[in-house]
Amino acid sequence: MSNRFKRRDFLKGTVAAGAATAIPLSLVELSWGMGSQPQASDAQDFTFAYISDSHLTQVKGTEFNENFDGGLKRAVTELNFMSPKPDFVVYGGDLSQLGKAEELDHGLEIMSGIRNLDVKWVIGEHDYYLDLGRYWQDNVSDLHYSFDHKGVHFVVLNSILTFDEWTHNRWPSAMERMKQMARLDNPEGSPFMVGETQREWLRKDLANVSRSTPIVVLSHSPLYQVYRPWNFWTEDAKEVQALLQPFDRVNVLHGHVHQIMYNQIGNITFQAMMATAWPWPYPESYAQHDNAIPKTTVFMNRADPHNSRDGTGWGSVDLISGRETIHHTLWRNTNRTIAYDADAGHPVDTKYQDPADRIPPQNHY
Amino acid sequence: MPRPTAWLAGAALLLASAGPAAAAFDPQEPPLGLPPVPVPADNPVTQAKADLGEQLFNDKRFSGDGTIACASCHQPDNAFTDDLPIAKGINDQKGTRHTPTVVNAVYYETQFWDGRRDSLETQALDPLVNPVEHGLESHDAVLEVIRGDDGYTRQFREVFGVAPGDITMDHVTKAIAAFERTQVSGSSPFDRYRYGGEEDAISESAKRGLKIFRNKGRCVDCHTIEQNYATFTDNDFHNLGVGWDRIGDEVFALVDSFRKMKKEGGDADIDTTILTDGKVAELGRFTVSLDPQDVGRFKTPTLRNVAVTAPYMHDGSEQTLMDVVEFYDKGGNANPLLDGGIKELDLTDQEKQDLVAFLKTLTSPRFSDLADNGGK
Amino acid sequence: MISNRLLRLAPAPVVLASLVLALGTRPAAADEFTKQDLADWQQQFKSVAEKGEALFHSAELGTNGHSCDGCHPDAADTHPETYPKYQQQIGEVVELRNMINWCIENPLEGEPLPLDSDKLLQLEAYINWERRGVAMAPGKH
Repeated sequence: MSNRFKRRDFLKGTVAAGAATAIPLSLVELSWGMGSQPQASDAQDFTFAYISDSHLTQVKGTEFNENFDGGLKRAVTELNFMSPKPDFVVYGGDLSQLGKAEELDHGLEIMSGIRNLDVKWVIGEHDYYLDLGRYWQDNVSDLHYSFDHKGVHFVVLNSILTFDEWTHNRWPSAMERMKQMARLDNPEGSPFMVGETQREWLRKDLANVSRSTPIVVLSHSPLYQVYRPWNFWTEDAKEVQALLQPFDRVNVLHGHVHQIMYNQIGNITFQAMMATAWPWPYPESYAQHDNAIPKTTVFMNRADPHNSRDGTGWGSVDLISGRETIHHTLWRNTNRTIAYDADAGHPVDTKYQDPADRIPPQNHY
Repeated sequence: MPRPTAWLAGAALLLASAGPAAAAFDPQEPPLGLPPVPVPADNPVTQAKADLGEQLFNDKRFSGDGTIACASCHQPDNAFTDDLPIAKGINDQKGTRHTPTVVNAVYYETQFWDGRRDSLETQALDPLVNPVEHGLESHDAVLEVIRGDDGYTRQFREVFGVAPGDITMDHVTKAIAAFERTQVSGSSPFDRYRYGGEEDAISESAKRGLKIFRNKGRCVDCHTIEQNYATFTDNDFHNLGVGWDRIGDEVFALVDSFRKMKKEGGDADIDTTILTDGKVAELGRFTVSLDPQDVGRFKTPTLRNVAVTAPYMHDGSEQTLMDVVEFYDKGGNANPLLDGGIKELDLTDQEKQDLVAFLKTLTSPRFSDLADNGGK
Repeated sequence: MISNRLLRLAPAPVVLASLVLALGTRPAAADEFTKQDLADWQQQFKSVAEKGEALFHSAELGTNGHSCDGCHPDAADTHPETYPKYQQQIGEVVELRNMINWCIENPLEGEPLPLDSDKLLQLEAYINWERRGVAMAPGKH
């Protein structure tokens, strides 16, 4: 296949990319960690859909922000057009903007338009910090859980917890706490984490999973560290990764960053999924601070702010031999496919990975 | 037989559209406000070819009953359109789409409201054999007429160096396209104001309207104006919700059955289906790309001469310019695939009037008498 | 305490200037600014930029509860170094303040600010401050 990216070529390409597009040297190098060969597994190949980050916002009463409603409704409609149908759909978190019951109910109503598919829910910080996940647990789903599907073990984490002091003692009201967490560039913000209790749960959950079973971890925030000031970050990422280390094939899918981003750390592939609401800038575009955007990532096209759907979208995930291939449906832009390259040992964009194939809109600065 | 009147009229048209200084059509010297005219390497424009194309364009014999020419809907004296919401073809049959103007159509990268043809040449093929347009069984009838007409055979020999028996639809469509390429017009009051430096070319109201067009009206992102010229189209496809109510929830079934039909090889009849099936017609660009994102999307038309090409939208559903402004002001017609650029505008009455005043300045001098009569 | 040497050697206006300086007011000669002046003037700029930062993060510019940082955290992706430039959304070459107004009018659904308004100046000061050190690139898309 001509779009299979050889490791050598990729490394060469990376250097060229550094020269041609001036990617900052602070970007994280891949750690290849090939180690031992993966064992065969019984897992089947299948597809599931992924919608995330809708940030539905109540204006007043039953009036909601039309822009954000429009994004989620569009994703639901296009999901209904999907043929053949996926096995289920994951909702990646931040269904609501401020965690209000009205917003969550509104989101559940729109999502109920999905035809004949189960939804697996992941909570985001915007859903959590008003009432610490109470309404979510009562009406949407558990905060963390696991399930098996066709030989693949899925783990859903609540990765947007933070220090107890910030959560319980810092703010005069629940809404104030929620609004503080809602601001991305908040100097008073606090880093996300999975936390010790949940890590212990995870350790026990994985204890009975065989090494060769493919694993998919669903979390809202990335389970690695990209950019702390905007909470593109999980504080205890290393500890979580260590728990996932013994397994041959691990895939992490997350939202929160509202942009295309992908990485490989040892045996773990990380994929960011798009938001239906709005795009975030890449941390590279803030000149006063270092960042650790994975060098692999070919950026999504820059968005035209005139069009509310530019820079937004949803996706589907093919699990093939236990590795994920991501199909990003990008509204107003050519769709992108990012597949795991077994020879190279990391994900590559099937069209644009080679810097010579990049297009101007992928150049952010 | 040569047709001197037609030739003179053609030359006059060429002069008027090419601008005051040009003696002949020069794609590199377009009228004020327009970019150079795109001309494909395999079909350069010459006077003789354009004249031939014009004759073909006006010839009613290229129809099932001898009553329909291209010019029947694309009426040259009426800014190349027909004043109807939906075009009517042979035996008064209605299609599903509003007739687009030929003027400045050369600047489109695709032709038809859903872009299903990628050039003026290939577009010219379809209406001839569409049962609700010209109603010919096949293109053979066109070639029969041409080969039996001495005037045509002489011109085809002159222009293409081809013997009568060797005339093909490729030659025919090249000639028609060459004529259409000469139908460009700029030098409108807007062009003189914006690109000609004439401060007084448009009214104060229209100047305010231009500002609204760029800012609060949110028009310019699709109806493009550039620093040195303006085509008023981004050559892209957008869903405003026009006509969505004709399909509504049926959209899933329609998409499924259209996909099935394509899979089973129902390719050849797309043109007929689109102009005869009112519901499939509303699927828009999807019928060409098969991408569900494109459901309900239609091509951004140029706004040049918009004041004299009413009614508006792909189904002619908006009668006047003010109707169009009101449509955008309310945020189009809500549907799950509404374009992300469309939202409520909250324009004041004054702003709406200013916007309409601006749109009226986009009429080229050639059509200004139509504007006086139409007053839309 | 002004040194005797300075009094003997310096011409009269300079002596006057030195006296004035010693009293803590501005020198008469335009190029005689001091490190303190630089610090003061930088602080004046920063006070304007701080007002801009507050505006940038407040919902008062629009009518729908959104603020600039909702798409531009830390003023990222504003690219002040590229202005004036052809702005696709407006269809002509414009300055940063025209685009700020476009954003106020469109995503924030507010009223554009008069071009000579203090608020625009504050926003520009903040946006430029967050992009300090980046080379000028006028016209770059």
